[in-house]
Amino acid sequence: MGSEIWLGLFSGIAFGFVIQRIGASNADKMARAHLMIEGDIPKFMLMAVILSAIGLLGLEAAGVANTRVLPTSLVATGVAGILFGIGWGFCGYCPGTTWAAAGEGRMDAVFALIGGLAGAAVFAHLHEFLIPLLYDPFNVGQITLVDWTGSRPAAVVLLVFIFGLCIGAINFLWKEKNDGQTQ
Amino acid sequence: MDKKNISTQYWPWLPAAFALAGIIVFIFATFGPPASSSGFVSLIKGAVQTVAPNYVENNPHYATMPDTGSWLFAFVLGMAIGGFAAGRTGRIPVKDIPEIWEKRFGKSRIKRFAATFVGGFIILFASRLAGGCTLGLFISGSTQLAVSGLYFGVLIFAVAMVTARLVYGRTGKEE
Repeated sequence: MGSEIWLGLFSGIAFGFVIQRIGASNADKMARAHLMIEGDIPKFMLMAVILSAIGLLGLEAAGVANTRVLPTSLVATGVAGILFGIGWGFCGYCPGTTWAAAGEGRMDAVFALIGGLAGAAVFAHLHEFLIPLLYDPFNVGQITLVDWTGSRPAAVVLLVFIFGLCIGAINFLWKEKNDGQTQ
Repeated sequence: MDKKNISTQYWPWLPAAFALAGIIVFIFATFGPPASSSGFVSLIKGAVQTVAPNYVENNPHYATMPDTGSWLFAFVLGMAIGGFAAGRTGRIPVKDIPEIWEKRFGKSRIKRFAATFVGGFIILFASRLAGGCTLGLFISGSTQLAVSGLYFGVLIFAVAMVTARLVYGRTGKEE
């Protein structure tokens, strides 16, 4: 129990530090990423996934990986994705970045954090009603790319290829404005 | 001159991605899939169970989650400390209202704080419905090659991009 908390704290400090330095805890940068003005944050996220997937393959080979795949519910995961996108595009924060931004001293993030606590509490209250309605009937299980490719390394190659294409597309489509109004 | 200083306040994305991936792989080795929306539930659970222990005990959502004495809560608390440390040692300006929001909606702090409260409410409500957020579902899920993470990721990026366009309108283009 004790070591788990220290590990969590240490991991969180490192994670919060890095996302602050890339600008992900800055809602202005996040909005500019969503508006296709600055591509650094999405490229950073996609590349981090590529490298983590390769690293996880190594952990699995070494037998030290702790994995837990969340199931796909066509309706619940879909509705949640749409709602989440609205909230993220509207306020420029996602759950993790509110903590880093609040720590950084951004007052609007403190309110996002409080709103988030309220949202989690309200969902928990409605869990009994919403999960059987939206999640369970459309749950297709813990499906992964491995189900299609047949082997784990092949699935990682496919993921690297898709995410690599996305990074290329962002490079091409996101228009960095270098005419002097960076901030 | 000024422009250069501003852009160098942030880390370039590629080395930063290596740093984050190193942390994520470390978390997979020492704990499991990283998550941050779970930390909200842990905090709420810890708070509510001090006043209404029966309610928490009988609630199926809290039953799936540990309280504040857990990796999940320590992680989000750590993120706040990490954000604080990075903010104090770097030169990234901290504002209560993002510049682009101020250009579009003015200097009202009440308006911005109300908006982020509502936005925060929506993203956590949605995360708990899906079982994870940007980190716990998209990043952790995709790293594990999960279809749930990829499906959620496509939707959150696409919808956020449309929403940002509707919210900021021409303000984004004038930049």
